[in-house]
Amino acid sequence: MNQSSIGRSLPRNDAPAKVTGRALYPGDIGRPGMLHMATLFAGRPHARIVGLDTAAAGAAAGVVAVLTAADVPVNEYGLQIKDQPVLVGPVSGKAGADVVRFVGDQVALVIAETEAQARAALRLIRVEWEDLPLVLAPEQAMQPGATQLHPHCADNIAYSYRIRKGDLNAGFGAADVVVEGVYRTPVQEHAYLQPEAGVAYIDEAGRITVEVAGQWTHADRKAIAHALDLPVEQVRVIYPAIGGAFGGREDMSVQITLALAAWRLAQRGVRRPVKTVWSREESIIGHGKRHAMTIHTRWGARRDGRLTAAEVRVVADGGAYMYTSDKVLGNTTLTCTGPYEIPHVAVDACAVYTNNVPGAAFRGFGGPQGHFAAESQMDRLAEALGMDPVELRLRNVLTDEKLLTTGTPIPGGVGLTETIIAAATAAGWTQDVAGHWQRPQTEWNADDADQTDGYDQTDNHNNHDHQRHQRSIASSIRRGIGFAAGFKNVGFSFGYQENSYARVELRGESEIEEATVYIAGADVGQGHHTVMAQAAAEALGIPFERVRMVTSDTARMGDAGSASASRLTYMAGNAVRGAAEAALARWRNEDRPATAEHVFLAPKTTRLDHDGQGLPNFAYGYVAQACQVAVDMDTGEVHVERFISADDVGKALNPQQVTGQIEGAVVQALGYALMEDWRTRDGQVLTNRLSTYLIPTVLDIPARLDPVIVEVPDPNGPWGARGMAEMPYLPAAAAVCAAVYDATRVRFTEFPLTSERVWRGLHEPTG
Amino acid sequence: MQPFDYIVPHNFAEASALLMAGNDDTRPLLGGTDLLIRVRGGFIRPERIIDLKQLPGMCDIVRSAEGWLVIGAACTMNQVAGHPLVRQEYELLAQACESVASYQLRNRATVGGNCCNASPAADSAPALYCLEAVMEAYGPSGVRRIPIHEFFTGPRCNALRPGEFLTGIHLPPVPSRSAGAFNKLGRTKIGDISIVSVAVWAEAGSRKLEAGGQSKHPERVDGATRTAADGQSKDAERLTWRIAIGAAGPTPLRAPEAEAALAEDASPEGVARAAQLAAEAARPIDDIRASAAYRRGMVAVLARRGVNSVLARLGAAPSVVGGQP
Ligand SMILES: Cc1cc2nc3c(=O)[nH]c(=O)nc-3n(C[C@H](O)[C@H](O)[C@H](O)COP(=O)(O)OP(=O)(O)OC[C@H]3O[C@@H](n4cnc5c(N)ncnc54)[C@H](O)[C@@H]3O)c2cc1C
Repeated sequence: MNQSSIGRSLPRNDAPAKVTGRALYPGDIGRPGMLHMATLFAGRPHARIVGLDTAAAGAAAGVVAVLTAADVPVNEYGLQIKDQPVLVGPVSGKAGADVVRFVGDQVALVIAETEAQARAALRLIRVEWEDLPLVLAPEQAMQPGATQLHPHCADNIAYSYRIRKGDLNAGFGAADVVVEGVYRTPVQEHAYLQPEAGVAYIDEAGRITVEVAGQWTHADRKAIAHALDLPVEQVRVIYPAIGGAFGGREDMSVQITLALAAWRLAQRGVRRPVKTVWSREESIIGHGKRHAMTIHTRWGARRDGRLTAAEVRVVADGGAYMYTSDKVLGNTTLTCTGPYEIPHVAVDACAVYTNNVPGAAFRGFGGPQGHFAAESQMDRLAEALGMDPVELRLRNVLTDEKLLTTGTPIPGGVGLTETIIAAATAAGWTQDVAGHWQRPQTEWNADDADQTDGYDQTDNHNNHDHQRHQRSIASSIRRGIGFAAGFKNVGFSFGYQENSYARVELRGESEIEEATVYIAGADVGQGHHTVMAQAAAEALGIPFERVRMVTSDTARMGDAGSASASRLTYMAGNAVRGAAEAALARWRNEDRPATAEHVFLAPKTTRLDHDGQGLPNFAYGYVAQACQVAVDMDTGEVHVERFISADDVGKALNPQQVTGQIEGAVVQALGYALMEDWRTRDGQVLTNRLSTYLIPTVLDIPARLDPVIVEVPDPNGPWGARGMAEMPYLPAAAAVCAAVYDATRVRFTEFPLTSERVWRGLHEPTG
Repeated sequence: MQPFDYIVPHNFAEASALLMAGNDDTRPLLGGTDLLIRVRGGFIRPERIIDLKQLPGMCDIVRSAEGWLVIGAACTMNQVAGHPLVRQEYELLAQACESVASYQLRNRATVGGNCCNASPAADSAPALYCLEAVMEAYGPSGVRRIPIHEFFTGPRCNALRPGEFLTGIHLPPVPSRSAGAFNKLGRTKIGDISIVSVAVWAEAGSRKLEAGGQSKHPERVDGATRTAADGQSKDAERLTWRIAIGAAGPTPLRAPEAEAALAEDASPEGVARAAQLAAEAARPIDDIRASAAYRRGMVAVLARRGVNSVLARLGAAPSVVGGQP
């Protein structure tokens, strides 16, 4: 009678409110009597504040309060280690909290009747600076004698990993070919539509309440409570609609400062809500970025294509504070050898403090960097061996039986082989009689002579010159194809006990009329709340329409964990399923309403030992991609004409959402690969607006983008689903660079492939 | 964004008086796509903004008695690009206007604002340089005409004097046998400011600008009687070429050496040489969008493509519609 609720492209339950404008994003929220807060950012990359005079600002028209470091009870913040002051200033309980370490450090908060008054008063704050030496290049920051940026870290190395598997010398000794490369990957800005914003107030129960866009309500609550030195129960975090996140909202932006403002005002008898909205320029300097990395790497393979050895050295620019650098780097450490079994491996990776904008979480979380190096190496090896790139990958790819560089197998259901074959087949690869893979010959690699570019050869004589002209441009176009694959963990890892909470409440008499799901997971635009409603409906055997969602409020539900690491469908999906099944059992026991909660605990993982051996993750997702590019040899312009992304998602609970994630990730990854060109000078951000930091427009995306859904079930995922939202990001830059190489015979080891970079590469063949 | 007074003047004299009285804290407004962004960014903090769009003629495109095309300063990019007279005779300008930003922005952005803003990257400017446009301003001393190449005086600087504002852009008549091509490079396909742009124009015969910006009535050549096959090289010898470069100097620039060289020799080798001369005429800088070296290289590429395209168009067009009714 009941159609299954999973595996169907059910409409998003947040769509009507978002389409009609009813949905409120943090910047849209207004409350009676609301005050406005503006933030004084450092604007200097490294300096000590020796004097701070806020008297004039405090006396300015409309100003209600000015807050500084002296007002922060525990002046520290950090998801991994608490190395960042909430506010930087000379009077603070925290050592080193008088030093700004990047331009986006926050110095003071002005709360006023209007936003204009608050912003005007910012200019009246007098800061006395003592500039300190800049530490900008990670390689230099690691050198002995470099200026130390944090009291706790003498060598500026924020975190490091080491993997030793097998015997590297033996591995290279067995190799018939060795390829070596140095790869540099750029910083990337999240560029979500909605800049940081929020409203804070004291709720009816006396809790400091912050309505804000984040990725993990309960982690925000903890960070606020820590800085305010309050028990977590006195803090409440609510997420309204969220305008994109991509990792950039994992760390604190306005959460603590808003809570601080509402709380300090209440203590002074001013019980009024406080709102803040960052400008785009503030957003761009104020939140973390994708880590820039330099990866030195050397790989060996036998003539038959078997990989024998890989040696990798990774240096990541961690920027001013740790944020999640340790975890990002862990992921790079695992992915920098690609989704392959390699018997002999040595990896040394470190993240280094500098005075740049902090490296932070960003979709793919260290994976895109690792894969760029790994998959570029594979493309080089394929060429050196005279072997098809698909064939080479299939010979080495991880399977259920093979071991990761950490000496452990991947937890079952490895869909890499299927995914690579799916992408290759969709792109026109074929297998010959001997079973060898052959690249597409006709459709994809059409050579210039065959390209008429829409000009009819039989046109009349008068158009001859016009045609010749068009062909003279067309003749500057070279086309090429590229292939790359990837894998990445799902969920939190390296020994963290992954967990996720959900509660389900069933109402009705003879049948379930309404099921309410309480889940804190953040719907950052990926459709999380829709998919959780599908999961509940499926577990309960009721129509999707009968599920009501109560979401993202720490006062009303337990911790579902973060909207990151491609984990929510997997983790919260299992939690909702568990809670629904338990509630259903009580319902059958005649409980009315029938309520149950469930905390899903993921399979255990371990920290890596001294040699990097251990079981870092409990689940993975897989991807393989092929693309065709057209390169204008005169101008260096690269256009991606067609892009295929095959993704093993285990089970597509909502295929339309899966397709949306693939398309979105590919477009964002192509921006990373081709266009997004983060520039700084002396620690100042030159690209602090969207007219200088460009992201792809609708005309820049491939004319054809074909998602291919592969479903190899995960043994522990809900209905076999695995996480997937980051995976289409992983190999994209490598696939594009391989295609550009195929077209031009110039290998780019650094991107974005802006037209100027490509033009230089074409004109200076050495580099 | 800093608040300001928004004023709609009733007539030219009032507009000029308001601008004169206000100095730097008073700014004229057309589409606002440059002005308001600069206000929002805090680069300028005007107290009064004078909206000139409602003044008579500002939004009109008309043919003057002398056969010139007069484009009101407040005509939008889409309006200009879609106008039949522009498309028939000054198609180069249509190409340039159509290349600006997105369709939505072109409904707002005006040609006059583009020039007054005086960005070296203003996309309509190279076309207007090639067409030898004459800018008409109104001010305390009445109407003044300024040749386009004197109008642009530096980055964000124009030749207007206190109290003066642009009212229209006058395009001299063009011979029926003429063609142009506008090419630009940006970092995105829509919406980015040009890294570099090149407009190329060729017309049969020659004409000279007289002092004061008045052009002699041009010699008309009837293209309709010719076929593409006969004597293309003979025609090419009699072509007058103009090449203008955007975003590669403090103002848009003409490339006179390249133009002269093409008039002598429009063979493939001649075109390559002219493209090189155009690149040498550029005075590019390094900035966030591109290096000077890349810009210079791209001037040569776009100039070559533009010249080839113009040659193809002239060779291919048996019946270019005559300029005058
Ligand atoms: C997203 C975006 C993309 C863009 N892309 C492009 C592009 O591709 N190519 C390009 O060339 N430009 C581009 N621009 C810039 C801008 O849109 C154009 O320069 C536009 O033509 C300006 O016209 P406007 O009517 O909006 O000018 P306004 O902003 O109204 O005015 C521009 C300047 O001229 C002054 N002014 C206005 N009218 C007069 C007058 N009558 N007399 C004297 N001074 C006057 C104003 O005070 C102001 O300083 C872009 C802008 C944006 C926001």
